[in-house]
Order: sequence, then C-alpha cells, then structure tokens
Amino acid sequence: MGRVLAVDPTLCVGCSLCALTCSLFNQGEFSPGAAHVSVTRDDFAGLFTIAFKSTCRRCHQCAQVCPSGAIRSLPSTGEGATEHDG
Amino acid sequence: MTGDVYRGRVLDVDLSSGRTAEVQLTDAERRLHPGGLSLGARFLWTGQQAGVDPLGPENTLVFGVGGLVGTNLLTASRTEVSAKSPATGLFGTANSGYYWGLELKMAGYDGLVIRGRAQRPVYLWITGQGLEIRDAAGLWGLDAWQSLRLLRAELGDDQVQAALIGPAGENMVRFASIQNGPYDAWARTGLGAVMGSKRLKAVAVRGRGSLRPADPRGFLSLTRETTTKVKASPFYTSFARYGTMLAASPYGAFGALPGKNFQTGRLAGWEENCTRKMVPQLSKRGIACSACPIACAHWTLVGEDLALKDMEVTPVFCLGAGLEILDLRAVARLTAYCQKNGLDIVSAASTVAFATELYERGVLSSRDVGFEPAWGSEEKALALLDLITYRRGIGDVLAEGTRLASRQIPGAYGYAMEVKGLELPIADPRGRLSTWTFGYLTNTRGGDHLRTRNPVENLRYNENPVPYRTERFGFDEAMLTGLDMSARDKEAIFDPETRDVDIPRMAKWSEDLIALYNCLGICIRPPVLHTLGPELLSRLWAAATGMELTPGEMLACGERVWNLQKLFNLREGENIRESVFPERFYREPLNGEAEGKVLDREAVQDTLAEYCRARGWDPASGVPLPGKLAELGIGGE
Repeated sequence: MGRVLAVDPTLCVGCSLCALTCSLFNQGEFSPGAAHVSVTRDDFAGLFTIAFKSTCRRCHQCAQVCPSGAIRSLPSTGEGATEHDG
Repeated sequence: MTGDVYRGRVLDVDLSSGRTAEVQLTDAERRLHPGGLSLGARFLWTGQQAGVDPLGPENTLVFGVGGLVGTNLLTASRTEVSAKSPATGLFGTANSGYYWGLELKMAGYDGLVIRGRAQRPVYLWITGQGLEIRDAAGLWGLDAWQSLRLLRAELGDDQVQAALIGPAGENMVRFASIQNGPYDAWARTGLGAVMGSKRLKAVAVRGRGSLRPADPRGFLSLTRETTTKVKASPFYTSFARYGTMLAASPYGAFGALPGKNFQTGRLAGWEENCTRKMVPQLSKRGIACSACPIACAHWTLVGEDLALKDMEVTPVFCLGAGLEILDLRAVARLTAYCQKNGLDIVSAASTVAFATELYERGVLSSRDVGFEPAWGSEEKALALLDLITYRRGIGDVLAEGTRLASRQIPGAYGYAMEVKGLELPIADPRGRLSTWTFGYLTNTRGGDHLRTRNPVENLRYNENPVPYRTERFGFDEAMLTGLDMSARDKEAIFDPETRDVDIPRMAKWSEDLIALYNCLGICIRPPVLHTLGPELLSRLWAAATGMELTPGEMLACGERVWNLQKLFNLREGENIRESVFPERFYREPLNGEAEGKVLDREAVQDTLAEYCRARGWDPASGVPLPGKLAELGIGGE
C-alpha cells in the first residue's frame, strides 16, 4: 500500500521547512518559489496556506521535516477524501 | 564548487544623493566575515568616523543577513542591524528573525548599507532587480501595522516582508525599534530612531531567486544531523511547548524579578498569573520564524478584537514585573502598542517604570506628568508610552532614555536602571549573579541579556559555590558530553571535579559563540545553544559555502566581531568605569533586610578583571591587547 500526504493547514506554524527542504532535495538548491510545496502567510491572522504543485514527486520529504503535523505522510486508505496525494 | 549561499554581496545606498551601488566582499573578507553582525562590524569599524551624531546623516545603518539564512538549517532566519546607537553612543546592534532576511537572500543580497538622509520620507523596495527609492509620504505618521498593510497593497504582494518604523522612530525616540513584520523587531539600542533620522520609513523586500549550497547532499545530511541532535537536547521538549515562558517561574522563585523598577524581586501573584501555567489558556499554537521547528512564539488570543504573536518572557518580565501589571492580557495589549508604534519593549517598560518610581518618590509631580502614574495600571502605562512616542510633555524628556532623562530631571539620578545607557531587562543580579546577569556588564551593547549565556545553565540551583566566580553545574555528565565545545575549552571552563562553571570564561566563550550565531543567522534558544557549537558549525559552513574553517577558526570569527565592537566602543570613548551596575544594586538590599542581598562592588569588579584576562584585554582598562588583535587579524585592514 502506498502513502499519501495528509495536510492540515490549521496546524502549520509557518516555518517553511517543507518548501526549503523540498527544493534542496529535488533541485539541489534552496528556492521556496520553485519548490513543489509552498506556504503563504497571513501574518495578521496568524494563518497559513499550504499548496502543492502538480509537479510534486511524492518524495514526502516535506512531511519528514514538518514539525507541527500540518503535513503528514500516512499509509493510503484508498478513500483519500481529505488527503492530498501529491 | 563554492555554491552561493553566502555571496558577500551588499547593496549600498546613499539617501542624500539617491546613489546606489553594489559592494562585493573579496574571498578573504568573506572568510573573516561570515555575514550578519560581521557585516555591521566591518562597515562601521572601517567605514565610519568616530564621534558622528547617531541621529545625523553621517551615521551608517547596516542590515546584515546571517550567512546561513535562506537554508533549511534549523533557526537560520536571523538578520543583524547595526549603527552607532542613539541610546548608548556605542556600537548599536539588534537581531531579529522572521522572514525579512530570507527574502533579501532570495533577492540576491547578503546585506544593505544605508547612508545619508533623504529630503522627504522614503521607503526602499528591493527585489532581484535591485533597489528603488520610493516616496513614503502616504506612510509617514502611520503605525507599523497600518504601514505594512498599505505597503503590501501598494506593491501588490501580500508576501512582501518589511523592516519598518512606527511613530516612535519617526520622532527619534532614542529607544525606538525597527519592526520586522507585524510582531518581531530589531528592538534594542534605538535603531528605529536612526531610520527616522534618515526619513526612511521602511525597507520592503521580496526575493524569488535561489541559493545553492556547495555540497547540497552533504548539507542536507548535516541539517538532519543537527535537527536530530537539537531535538535530543534535554531542553527541547519543554522549550517547544512553552517557549521562553519557561524562565518566568524560576526567576520568580529566586526573588530576582525586576519588580517596580528593580525595587523588589518578589511579587505576589507572579507564579499564578505570569508563568508558563498561563500558556495553555492563552496560546493556541506556536508561530515560527523561517526554518525553525521550535516555533517558540505563541499565537495569543487576547480578546475578540486582538490576537498577536506574543507571550515571550521578556515583555512579561519587563512590562509585567517591571510595572507590576500581573495580567498577561494587559501585557499583550502593551506589547501590541510597542509593536505598532515601534518601541523597544525592554527600554520602554524600564522608562515607564523609572517615571512611575520618580512620581512615587515625589521627584515628579502629577503636574509634571499630566496625571498620576501608578504601579499595576495598564491605563497609566499606556498613557506614559503615548507621551514618549509622540514626545509630548514629560514624554519628550523620557524619550531620551533613562540615562539622559535622569540627568535632566532634578533628583532623578540613581533611578535609571541601565548599564552604558541601555536599560536592563528581565532579572536582578542581586537575586542571581550568573553568567547571564554578569553579561549585563560585558555586553558590547550595554545592559542586555541576549549575548552572554551559559548554554548549560541549571535553573534548579541558585547558590553559587564561589560567589560571582562560579555557577553550579548540577546536571549529569551527558549534558556536558552533548555540549559542542572543544575539550580544551571544557577543561578551562568546567571544574574537573564538580563541573561547576567558571563565569568569566564561560561569558567569553558564549559571547564568541553567540557573536558567531549572529553572523550566521542562528537563534540562541537553549536547545540550539546547547547543541550547535563550533565543530558542527564548521562542517555546516563548509558544506554550505565551500569555505573550510576549523572549529577554532569559526569561533574566532565570533571573537573577532566581539573585539571589533569593543574597539568601536573604545573609539567612541567607552571607559571601563561605565561597566558597573546601577548604584541601587550595591546599596539597597533586594527584597528588604530579611533577604538583604546587595552586590559586593569589589567582587564584581574582580570578576570583570578576570573576564578581561580571559579575553586577552588589559584588566585595568578593558582595552584589547596588541597580541590578541594580531591573533584575530585585526589592524591590518
């Protein structure tokens, strides 16, 4: 069974480790704009948005480094209603 | 392969002429100055004359982004801003994280040097295409929160980051901050007033570029190793949950709070209302700076109309204990005032406490102030902050900071709680003389708690084996094993039998390491400071930049910067006689005669002399000796 990414932006602390690690792992450089995952901030509301590009390679590095549980790598249930599968 | 994580590329703008240029550091300079604070030290030491007016056009303001900012190394988010301080007349400098530095790095720059004075209010707009000087007439007079919203709307990008001042900076309050986004700040030493003096409202940045490490795979592996080690630190779990609020309880128990302008170290209700017990009630979750998994700041719900990134222990000590306002929601509202108006919370709280004590003692009257200042009153504190921000009435004198105000107000001498013109934060050294509070005397920026720190400080103990000279260790051996410090330094700093810490030598070592952190852009939070030392940093630096420096050479970068700041201060007339605590600490027993703690002046000075010896400075004058400067390669520039 494969794994899927479960995303809960309400848990995001905004650190952007997902995007920084994604771009280093996949492109060999730090480039938040070119990463397959991005975090945008609404700092007056203390809220964050997490978005994935269609280019995402499902390496799940973002989930490995996410400190807050906002992005998690879970075994696929086959249902996937609330899951982002990359 | 060298990569381009740290290019040594600095924008240089003269606001008087509008001329901009790019400065490229040589490879030799990049090796000596790894970004951040070292850029400020380099440009101010070699490029600025002694004796300039800190609020004049000839004062240079330097933004130095940490050399490792923009990477995934945990906490590498921080930028140092430096100039001659209008508060102290010495090397002014402040450090802040969040996302400003990341954006500047992604725009292709490591720093920004700002000279001169604009004819009318302006802001800077920096992207990968360079720098534009733009009209800020529509922003001048607005608070930092309003200005940031308008800037983002005008630039059409809500992800723009900005360093900006509020009305306090515009009015050149000598302890005005530069705000970093809505909630963070380059707060200490009055650099917001320097921006105000230049008629510079904001520096907005947006970068869309990239940074390539010299060894991408090696760097990824090392950052994983670092994160694993930091998370294994005994300090990690509780710090990630409570943040800096962890320190509130111990200092309350020590009776070392800065209560009512350092008149009392004990406050009834502190433990119940102002400690980590309050965190679950008010904080929903953490908010992080770039690349930080700790997320130590709390998103705090104050009321229906106010939520902010808050609940950091410094405002709780300074506004809460300092003014006897033992209500964290009130502290948050006062914090929000300082964030919006651009005031250094430590100095602002200390100045309000100073004025309140002067009123209490009859030195100031209600006619002088316009009302009756009072301890425990949020309303009176806000009213005083407003007088200061807009330099109205007595606020015009208080806006000069407590040292200058104490010289202008008859009878006020002795009530300014400052060292070298910088107001003291947090803890009373009468209640706990540790490496940390001893650092109030040695810190190059004056009375401050953020640049001298024992990375294995044990808050379970407060009885030091040798007063003022050693600090009890009291941990198991694993704590020492986990500390990234050379065997030689461990031998010099820790007692071979008891492991007790030599305060002057730990002060020196930690200052050099923290100065290195402030060059690289790393945060001094306890789990990091305990784990990430010269050895690990030298490997990270090599993988990031291709520059091979030994652990000793890495630490020497920090020591070099510390000495350059000291030389700057000496050039501006600093004298070792100013390295003393406020007179109150030597004369007035803390917490009354029952506890009766005063500092022993001679013993304090003996520890200071020993610190100078450890530094290679003349113990009588505090002047770096030629051999030390030669060892650090200073003097040949």
